Amino acid sequence: MVTETDDSDSSGRIRIEDVVDDDIDDDAGESLVEGLDEKLNHLKRKIQGERVRSIQERFEVNKKKVDVHVTTPFSSNGGDDSDVFCTRMGKPLCKLTGFPHGVAERDYVPTKDVLSGSVRLPSAERIPPYTTWIFLDRHEFHSDVLNQNQRMVEDQSVVGRRQIYYDQHGGETLICSDSEEEPEPEEEKREYSEGEDCIIWLIGQEYGMGEEVQDALSQFLILDASEILERYNELKLKNQQNVEAFSDSGFKLGISLDKGLSAALDSFDNLFCRRCLVFDCRLHGCSQPLISASEKQPYWSDYEGDRNPCSKHCYLQAVREVPGGSSSFASKTEEKASEEGCSKADSFDNPHDPAGGVNLPVEKTNTGSNNLDSSSGIEQDNKTREKREATRLEDSSDLPNLSNKKQKTAVLDTKMPLVNTISRLEGDQGGKSETSEVNRDSGASLKELAEYIPDKTVHDGGSSSFKPEHGSGKGTMVIAEMSETSQPSTEWKPIEKDLYLKGVEMFGRNSCLIARNLLSGLKTCLDVSSYMRENEVSVIRRSSTPNLLLDEGRTDPGNEDDEVPPRTRLFRRKGKARKLKYSTKSAGHPSVWKRIAGGKNQSCKQYTPCGCLSMCGKDCPCLTNETCCEKYCGYADKFNVKWKQFSILYKFNPAVVFNTGARKVVKTVSEDVIVQRVNAEAGSVRALLLVENVIQMFAEIAGLGLARFISCGDGSLGEAPRRGEGQCGNMRLLLRQQQRILLGKSDVAGWGAFLKNSVSKNEYLGEYTGELISHREADKRGKIYDRANSSFLFDLNDQFVLDAQRKGDKLKFANHSAKPNCYAKVMFVAGDHRVGIFANERIEASEELFYDYRYGPDQAPAWARKPEGSSKKDDSSITHRRARKHQSH
Amino acid sequence: MSKITLGNESLVGSLTPSNKKSYKLTNKIQEGKTPLYSVAFNFIDARYFTCFVSAGGNGINLYNCLEDGSISLLYAFADEDKEEEFNTASWACGVEGNPFVVAGGEKGIIRVIDVNNEKIHKSLVGHGDLVNEIRTQPLKPQLVLSASKDESVRLWNVETGICILIFAGTGGHRNEVISVDFHPSDKHRFVSCGMDTTIKIWSMKEFWTYVEKSFTWKDDPSKFPTKFVELPVFTASVHTDFVDCNRWVGDFILSKSDEILLWEPILKENSPGEGTSDVLLRYPIPNCNLWFIKFSCDLSLNYLSIGNEEGKIYVWDLKSCPPVLVTVLSHNQSKSVIRQTAMSTDGNTILAASEDGTIWRWDAINKEQAVTVEAQPPPILHQYRRREGKSQLK
Repeated sequence: MVTETDDSDSSGRIRIEDVVDDDIDDDAGESLVEGLDEKLNHLKRKIQGERVRSIQERFEVNKKKVDVHVTTPFSSNGGDDSDVFCTRMGKPLCKLTGFPHGVAERDYVPTKDVLSGSVRLPSAERIPPYTTWIFLDRHEFHSDVLNQNQRMVEDQSVVGRRQIYYDQHGGETLICSDSEEEPEPEEEKREYSEGEDCIIWLIGQEYGMGEEVQDALSQFLILDASEILERYNELKLKNQQNVEAFSDSGFKLGISLDKGLSAALDSFDNLFCRRCLVFDCRLHGCSQPLISASEKQPYWSDYEGDRNPCSKHCYLQAVREVPGGSSSFASKTEEKASEEGCSKADSFDNPHDPAGGVNLPVEKTNTGSNNLDSSSGIEQDNKTREKREATRLEDSSDLPNLSNKKQKTAVLDTKMPLVNTISRLEGDQGGKSETSEVNRDSGASLKELAEYIPDKTVHDGGSSSFKPEHGSGKGTMVIAEMSETSQPSTEWKPIEKDLYLKGVEMFGRNSCLIARNLLSGLKTCLDVSSYMRENEVSVIRRSSTPNLLLDEGRTDPGNEDDEVPPRTRLFRRKGKARKLKYSTKSAGHPSVWKRIAGGKNQSCKQYTPCGCLSMCGKDCPCLTNETCCEKYCGYADKFNVKWKQFSILYKFNPAVVFNTGARKVVKTVSEDVIVQRVNAEAGSVRALLLVENVIQMFAEIAGLGLARFISCGDGSLGEAPRRGEGQCGNMRLLLRQQQRILLGKSDVAGWGAFLKNSVSKNEYLGEYTGELISHREADKRGKIYDRANSSFLFDLNDQFVLDAQRKGDKLKFANHSAKPNCYAKVMFVAGDHRVGIFANERIEASEELFYDYRYGPDQAPAWARKPEGSSKKDDSSITHRRARKHQSH
Repeated sequence: MSKITLGNESLVGSLTPSNKKSYKLTNKIQEGKTPLYSVAFNFIDARYFTCFVSAGGNGINLYNCLEDGSISLLYAFADEDKEEEFNTASWACGVEGNPFVVAGGEKGIIRVIDVNNEKIHKSLVGHGDLVNEIRTQPLKPQLVLSASKDESVRLWNVETGICILIFAGTGGHRNEVISVDFHPSDKHRFVSCGMDTTIKIWSMKEFWTYVEKSFTWKDDPSKFPTKFVELPVFTASVHTDFVDCNRWVGDFILSKSDEILLWEPILKENSPGEGTSDVLLRYPIPNCNLWFIKFSCDLSLNYLSIGNEEGKIYVWDLKSCPPVLVTVLSHNQSKSVIRQTAMSTDGNTILAASEDGTIWRWDAINKEQAVTVEAQPPPILHQYRRREGKSQLK
């Protein structure tokens, strides 16, 4: 572990061997700690010496760069015009003689006054002050609530940071530090420098990690002993891993095979917004809770017998050699498959029992394709799909060894139209259309297979146990080859296991498909099938509880040391944050926040999709939270979104029960057709994106319909501005049908918002957008904004405040008035709270807009209120220094 | 704030001057009574390297430093609006090489003065608040960056008067921006710092077409498709207080809060926005606790000079590691805060703009016979105690 280093320079560096020898010889273990101290100091000196050297080296390297930069030629061409300047240099306005010999420090220096400006610069009109802001047509989630996985936005929260606000007029400084109120936010993970690591590691290796050593180290490094031990263990683990990684020159697939699949899927699970159907959603953020699916998409079912061997490594090659076997199980499987078809239909029926007694019978086998057909955007896809289907059906009929294949396929195709679409899309995208063909052909649950041919599958790589009875010698050869080639890959890496599990989830126990689609290049079909057999019991158990597969697939044996998934971390954080006692603070609303014009003091509740199974009961979080269930509730996650044919949605009678106490919306979108789940197919993100567009369209259409009926049905959110034929505000919000707002100098103060065209009463003008921040963050920012006397905070609901300071819409510049011509309203649009600005009266073109900010009754400006004792003192002690720009005030 | 731990320390300069180079006071001029915030030598056109501009109040003056310690006044401009208080001025030039002076201040309007014609070339309107600093791109002196209280940095083309890019938003500064500086060789890159205690490195590489477009834009400047750059390449938190001056030194950055740090931004190649900063050297400056005190360097980056609250000037050697203090310039009549120093391109003249409205000129003596450097003191490693809890944070 101790490396002999080049001792060429550096006085501070000491060879460790010497030290070690000395210590051990002299102290002979009796006074371990003393020797330890010495060694620690040696090490420290060594590390510091190296640091000095490294700094000097880097400095020298950089110095060369500086010199290069300096030699870059500067422009000194100068046109004719510049002669004017030269002339002026020759004939200056005046000359102020200096003291060529210098002036001593004590000498009096006469001051020479300079003539004041001879050239007048015409005055330019200044514009009202503002902070640079970015136009936002949608709320944006502020990153302080996101976890580290959010790579888009850097953490810009003021919470947890010291904010120094400089008050120009008083020369006074306000420091908003966190030290005052809240409990310390979670301790950041300490970063260890290489030097510390080195010391901890070397000492640990040398002396072990006894308590004495820990104490000594903790004193030396000013750390907790426990932290040191922890770090030591981490280092140990790391070193081991390094060694392993060194010896294991594994397959490279872009992702490390040692990581679990969940790590690879992390971005999908965490960065994909299931409500907006986009990655890196800026509204809802990442790491949304995965709501457990209420039902499981049935496996691809097809039966085994018709399948062609996928490759020469296919286990079918082996199986086929056994006469009778395949035919017998083929017929059985067929039966099973049809049974499964029924159960599938049953499961389709499930969502048709929503609360509220809405029951719209839909022709199950057709809805999917109808749905697709009626959507213009994917018509093309659809056509190509049909075409392909036709050709493929022809193809398949040509295939030998098929009995009722054709019929079967037809049934399957109508059953799961979208499944096929998706797989086809995937195939198209990836440029390997054969994938989808195989998909179609296959899908037989291998459970049956396992039952029927327990002895006939290739097992233990033994070719001898597999004597082909009427096969040619070729079969044997193949098998022999197989067992050979499969030899090196019998080890299953975590990711392979995970991929396998996903495969089972997607294709059922079809080793051909799994091997080809997910484990191509890693495992052969034969490997998969034998692994499948080995794990049969557990797999069956798992597949019967498919939800667990997603979240607990990682508990697969040999995989326990996986990290906790990041989203759990977020939950923890969120949970903690909610416990903070700032509720009293926000109840008082110390800062000047704009509020809902409704004047209700109690704010709306943030909507979080519930995870109820097919029906919401009394325990539904939406119910207890007094929010409405939305289309995102329940099994809405993982793409198992069931969409109504949107024509139905439009005809849909809003038979919604809005009890004032417990507002409860039936899961409107629940009854219907499947837009397929595409969840978490490792390789098919591209396909996913394509599908996403399709779904997006549905989402928007359905969203519109939904918004429409919510707004019109909900009296509790304020009177819907219903004008004539049910044109309601939500629609306009969703469609962004807003009035043209102009930004100009206000007649009152600063900037103002003006209307371009005249509008009539209750007309929707636009949306007040901004960053979504937590109340805690808003408290902090409020303090700063109040100082600057401009605040763009807007109470949105119980969890969030809108801040339009840096991001927003022109409407943020509308000023406050006691007699406003507009009003603001928080609206519940497609699961999100949004603020719409409406006309209070008829407003003429180019009139300035005002609305009532509804400052709370106790909202004296922050600086007028008494500071909270100790904390303020605390602050002022830190204020001192660079706070002032000017020295005396 | 990256914590300083073992193996992570930086080398701190000693405050004992080496006197390797010394300066004498050769002139002192008074420009009215308004505080002077800015003084800057021309570093764009070699013929004018002796000329400098000063800004304070509503006045902008151009001077020439003569050999004998004299200073001649070349031009004197004054804004008609008495409310204007210029914070900063920088040299620039038009496409034909004609000298411009670009100044900005309290009103947030950047004035581009065509010096030869003694008139305003353009007034750049756009900043929502006062302008703290303006810097010129040395490789393309029609481009200037302005740092403003409105939390944005803007890139302007002074020739056409176009606001090309705005650096603000999601990853932008969260408080006043006080200082900016172009990278000496990478024309796409610059650094900004401000009251949010962070230093941000920005890149305009992806937007360079807009920069080129700005030179050929014939339409109304206000119709130019100005772009927002929201995400910096890197954000460093090496200070805990306002950062009011920063400059590139090679690929390292010098930044000043209550002391000057030289640090290396270590960017991760493949993940933009991520990286670490490694503080290598520290240049302590006594009595420099007010903000808006800015340092300056000579063109070859051999020396750095900075004033302090007491009117003293510290000159550091930038070419030595660990840092060596060259000399401290003081005079018993110089008692006011020195807001900005200016070092001539060769480093032999130092100008100091003081809050009492005076400009002090110091010239190097014994230029040739550099005093042999005394035995350098052993490097002192700067160590911080690990802070416990947030409250102890300075």
